[in-house]
Amino acid sequence: MSDIGKVRLRVPASIKAGDVIRVRCLVIHPMERIERDKAGKIIDKKYQYIDTVTVTYLGKTIATFDTTQSVSENPFFAFAVKATDPGKLTVSFHDTHGQKYEGSVDIAFS
Amino acid sequence: MRQGHDTGLTRRAALGALGTVGVAVSLGGVVTLGGAAPAAAQALGQNEPLEAALKRVFGGRPMKDGSGMIKLDIPLIAENGAVVPVGVEVNAPMTPQSYVKHIYIVADKNRIPIVTRVALTPASGQAYMGANIRLGETTDVRAIVEQSDGTLLALTREVKVTVGGCGG
Repeated sequence: MSDIGKVRLRVPASIKAGDVIRVRCLVIHPMERIERDKAGKIIDKKYQYIDTVTVTYLGKTIATFDTTQSVSENPFFAFAVKATDPGKLTVSFHDTHGQKYEGSVDIAFS
Repeated sequence: MRQGHDTGLTRRAALGALGTVGVAVSLGGVVTLGGAAPAAAQALGQNEPLEAALKRVFGGRPMKDGSGMIKLDIPLIAENGAVVPVGVEVNAPMTPQSYVKHIYIVADKNRIPIVTRVALTPASGQAYMGANIRLGETTDVRAIVEQSDGTLLALTREVKVTVGGCGG
């Protein structure tokens, strides 16, 4: 997949100071599942799936997702943030192969 | 493969050395952490039955019924088990004194029952999480909430799955 690692982030169109907003994010990622051979034995290899998602807002970590292979392909996550100040919201995805995918959005008040 | 014997010896030696290192590391961990191994130190998603997973993560702590506080948003029938949207909202304050620390999603019959663990902070403003998960077959899905004082709340909902999504 050529799109692997593409991060999409969505915040509400209009945000007022102090609002609790819900942010939705998605990353294009295969989230490899456990494979088994014909005998039903698990094939031992380093599966590539996202194991940590970190949400940072104004330089502080506000939420961490520890994920497993039970999370779907192209994983989608949603979380709440209290928008106290305008600033950058970053979501970074880290997978078991050491890859890091990042997406960020500027929180601005209207 | 005439050299197989030699390789075997080297490999054995190497494994032995690795084992020693492993023991040293685990001993070191116990010393620094005072015996309590944090859940984060080990891989969260393991191929294990539900009881083992719950015991490993929660250590047999009692769970209260969370039906009054937890709102678990998941379809009753999932046509495609590969992508099942789930949302959890907890009706609890998010202040530095008392907040929701973790939200776990557990799918009872998945090969890897612990789906995800979300660590929240008071800066979230609201205890809410959403994710797309996989379900292998018709199963109970639990939302387990751990509050900052260590209270565990759980809510279970059955999801019927038409086509499983967990493969092997």
